[in-house]
Amino acid sequence: MEQTIFSLLELNLNVKEAIRQNFDEAYWVRAETSDVRPHRNGHCFLEFIEKAQDGHSIVAKARGTIWASTFNLLKPYFEQETGQSFASGITVLVKVVVNFHESYGYGLNVVDIDPSYTLGEIARNRMLVLKQLEEDGVLELNKELPLAEPLNRIAVISSQTAAGYEDFHNQLENNSAGVIFYTKLFPAIMQGDRSEPSIIAALEEIFKYQSLFDAVVIIRGGGASSDLSCFDSFNLATNSAQFPLPIISGVGHERDVTVLDAVAHTRVKTPTAAAEFLINRAVETINHLMGLQDRLVHASRNILTIEERQLAAWSKDLYHTSKSVLQTNRNTLMFLGEKLRSVVKQKMEREHFAIKKYDHFVSLSSPEKMLKRGFSITTKNGKVIKSISNLSNEDVIKTQLSDGIIESKIVDKK
Amino acid sequence: MKKEELTYTAAKEEIEKIVGLIDSEELDVDQLAKHVKRATYLVDYCKKKLTSTDEELQKVLEELSV
Repeated sequence: MEQTIFSLLELNLNVKEAIRQNFDEAYWVRAETSDVRPHRNGHCFLEFIEKAQDGHSIVAKARGTIWASTFNLLKPYFEQETGQSFASGITVLVKVVVNFHESYGYGLNVVDIDPSYTLGEIARNRMLVLKQLEEDGVLELNKELPLAEPLNRIAVISSQTAAGYEDFHNQLENNSAGVIFYTKLFPAIMQGDRSEPSIIAALEEIFKYQSLFDAVVIIRGGGASSDLSCFDSFNLATNSAQFPLPIISGVGHERDVTVLDAVAHTRVKTPTAAAEFLINRAVETINHLMGLQDRLVHASRNILTIEERQLAAWSKDLYHTSKSVLQTNRNTLMFLGEKLRSVVKQKMEREHFAIKKYDHFVSLSSPEKMLKRGFSITTKNGKVIKSISNLSNEDVIKTQLSDGIIESKIVDKK
Repeated sequence: MKKEELTYTAAKEEIEKIVGLIDSEELDVDQLAKHVKRATYLVDYCKKKLTSTDEELQKVLEELSV
């Protein structure tokens, strides 16, 4: 019997031709990227896969190539439109040309891409995840956690090697408020398909020491933008949503809001913004404290001033009142003194008058005056004679006149 | 056993209370001194908590094997 034997090359070339003839157009294909390897020369090599409904087993696979001339345009275009890097693990809609090479086998050459499909897929997934979280009642849990005061013990989930953590740490260390922060890095893989379990493991580690921390900061940054899809994962989101410490998420791009961003307590755009958020809170805390201190000083000074014024007023009153009392007393004394003087004067005058009258009377009655007026004093043997009965004739009597004494003998009495 | 330690939040609440009391001018001068002293102590305590390192905590964190 005759068997047609082909050389491998001949077989492959035939297959190659058959494919070229039957698949001569470019086809829009949706598939998941895997093992994306940009090459130094600008070309990009990757694998396209399709997973089964359960999301685990792979049902279709194809090698992919994007030549440099295409990739140089495609990559920035895709990244700008989706905000995601062209990396493994994303669902894309690409326009491909089928080729079969006799040595390299089956492959798809990418000539175009529709980023809106990816966007749509990303958005759709996010919606599904968010919806599930809401149904589970966990969507808002982390947001409802109160922020401690002060908020300065921070568990950081970030890449061990990337500069993100260093910058973050330095910012906090040198903050202008002078607040001390305590940070501890719980390293994790922040991109690619190993990131989800890695970050979850970090969260579990932090959970063990949750009493040592006030918050968790998840940051990623510095340098190449990469695939955010791990932050849209349900597992990570549900773990984060239910985490007992507030989570500050700083993994996103400018405009992308990942599911993690949506469930985290606070979302910031960059590690720098995360540090600023923490520092601002610390500044607020300090300002509040300083405000209280000011009020304390102010209020107590106020009270002291009021007391001082009161005392001053009283002492002034005291001064014036006592001065016035003294004055009144002085016046009274003066008045009394005057009165005394006047009363005394009057009395003296009365006495004088009285005495003058006596004096006058006395002087009128004085013997000298009487004598001068012609009266005389008769004495007998030194005794004053007031009656003639004491006298007889021949008695010798002395008679005192105003200017002398005469001696006489009585010759007759009547 | 950890002794009952004054938390930052509790301290701040007490400061607010004292300030409110002083503001309301219901205190006489004797009580004023006592309360101002307490409030000043609390403010210092809070400031220290914020701006000076808790060596113990620092050590614990560093020793965490992660």
